[in-house]
Amino acid sequence: MLKLFKSWTTHMDYKGQKLAEQLFQAIIILFAVVGFIWGYMCEQFVQTMYVLGAGFVLSCILTLPPWPMYRRSPIEWLKPRPEENSEDISKDKDKKQIKKKSKSK
Amino acid sequence: MNTFLSRLNTIFAFTLSVMAALTFGCFLSTAFKENKTAVDIGTTKAVVKNVPNFAASTRDRNDLGQIAFDLHTELSSLFNWNTKQLFLYLTAEYETKSNKLNQVVLWDKIIRRGETTKLDFKSMNTKYYFFDDGNGLKGNQNVTLTLSWNVIPNAGTLPRIQGEGSYIIQFPDEYKQ
Repeated sequence: MLKLFKSWTTHMDYKGQKLAEQLFQAIIILFAVVGFIWGYMCEQFVQTMYVLGAGFVLSCILTLPPWPMYRRSPIEWLKPRPEENSEDISKDKDKKQIKKKSKSK
Repeated sequence: MNTFLSRLNTIFAFTLSVMAALTFGCFLSTAFKENKTAVDIGTTKAVVKNVPNFAASTRDRNDLGQIAFDLHTELSSLFNWNTKQLFLYLTAEYETKSNKLNQVVLWDKIIRRGETTKLDFKSMNTKYYFFDDGNGLKGNQNVTLTLSWNVIPNAGTLPRIQGEGSYIIQFPDEYKQ
């Protein structure tokens, strides 16, 4: 069960994270302003809290799951360099070869 | 913001901050209200007895005032979006030889949001005994009745306000048996 949860990837790319943050901030502040005015008009502060709660739920729905809009610009990694260029890698390679030899014996 | 839980945490924290700001705005929008209104008070009965005060440690005979009061007021102007309830209390204030200032609460009432705000009581009995700590009530010609209230807010201070209007009781010079 726990493995199933961990296997879900919920990451966003960097631009997606920025978009998500701006989106939920805008939604919550908008709902807060509307709720403040609405609560003042009907003389019930609890109405303000309800409207803010609605903003919270909406921004959760819109920004918690990694919707495709937050994964439009994935990071472009450099292609791996050819192994021969690096000494360290070649050393590792040598070791591996040695190991292989020893195994074959 | 990279994982589900970190986003949930951020949104929740931001919502709480906004909620605190809204609550402060609610407090500010009502902080400068006077919360005053006019009150009509009268009495239909004012007698004084001399009885043992069982509430005191000594069993001396103290003055017990017995009054019935009329109260008429309209408190709807005290309710706004930052008012949870009102606590009303009727106070008798007088001066005696032993004390410069005596204050006794005779009656109180809670008005919650949504309950009727128009009070019209005729010949109400007091809730609490009106005991003096000596013999200061007999013949006292200057006992002032006032109605005061606490406005209990959703957020903010707890003001204690005295209503505009009072009534002066004049107790008789003889004890009632």
